[in-house]
Amino acid sequence: MKIDHSLPLEYSTEENRLKVLGFWIFLGAEIMLFATLFASYFTLVNRTGNGPAGADIFEITPVLMETIVLLTSSFTIGLGVHAMRLRNKKAMLSFFAVTLLLGAGFLAVEISEFVHYVHIGAGLQTSAFTSILLTTLGTHGAHVTLGIFWGLFIMLQVKQRGLTPETANKSFIFSLYWHFLDVVWIFIFSFIYLKGMM
Amino acid sequence: MSELFPRKQVMGFLFSLLLTAVALAVYFFDMSYAAGMTILLVTAFVQAGLQLVVFMHAGETKDKGAIYTNVYYGVFIALVTIFGTLLCMIWGYV
Repeated sequence: MKIDHSLPLEYSTEENRLKVLGFWIFLGAEIMLFATLFASYFTLVNRTGNGPAGADIFEITPVLMETIVLLTSSFTIGLGVHAMRLRNKKAMLSFFAVTLLLGAGFLAVEISEFVHYVHIGAGLQTSAFTSILLTTLGTHGAHVTLGIFWGLFIMLQVKQRGLTPETANKSFIFSLYWHFLDVVWIFIFSFIYLKGMM
Repeated sequence: MSELFPRKQVMGFLFSLLLTAVALAVYFFDMSYAAGMTILLVTAFVQAGLQLVVFMHAGETKDKGAIYTNVYYGVFIALVTIFGTLLCMIWGYV
């Protein structure tokens, strides 16, 4: 394996560089997945039947908490990758840990939000609107849940094996995934919540 | 310690918080649908671009061209899917 030391560790072999490119292609497919969910959401947003509309059930406080927590976690994982490039394993693992804790905090707020929705009669089967709302939010939340476990295993590997071209590459790819989830959330925040409460 | 907080990323983070605050204007102030949607579209896409360039290091390697082409293609398909759906399901051009 040829290692180019002039590049950051995560790109240092050709295989690693191509893995990063491959992950970007996966993210392209993810963009399209969320696009279909948004297309369905915009189609069904007014089909509320006998159930509530967005303006009736959305609350700004938990939504704002989720947004700030996720934005901050996107920042901290960026710092984690920066620390990784400085070969500072301890700082990197700390930033990754903070990121995953913030991710867990996001999930806690989102789960309590879902419980609240079901409690006030806005469950998955209430109307076309509530079902596409919960499907879109749930798909994003499922991605965050997966990300928390993925990140946890990456941290374990870095802890055990140290910063090698492989573990650095995996960590960098995980950071791309996490930033992407933040981007998706920005669109959910803007075009589901804020548009609904406008 | 300060080397762990690069200026570019700190500024990016502050700017992303600022964009969120600007987007919140549509909630706190009474404005027309068109004005509100314009603010949301601008803040959301600037925010997405910021993440892509500052945090995701999209333009770092020689795969820059392939990565951006792929992202633009994904976004293009996303917009065609969303606006195509709106066009035939909501706006009534069947």
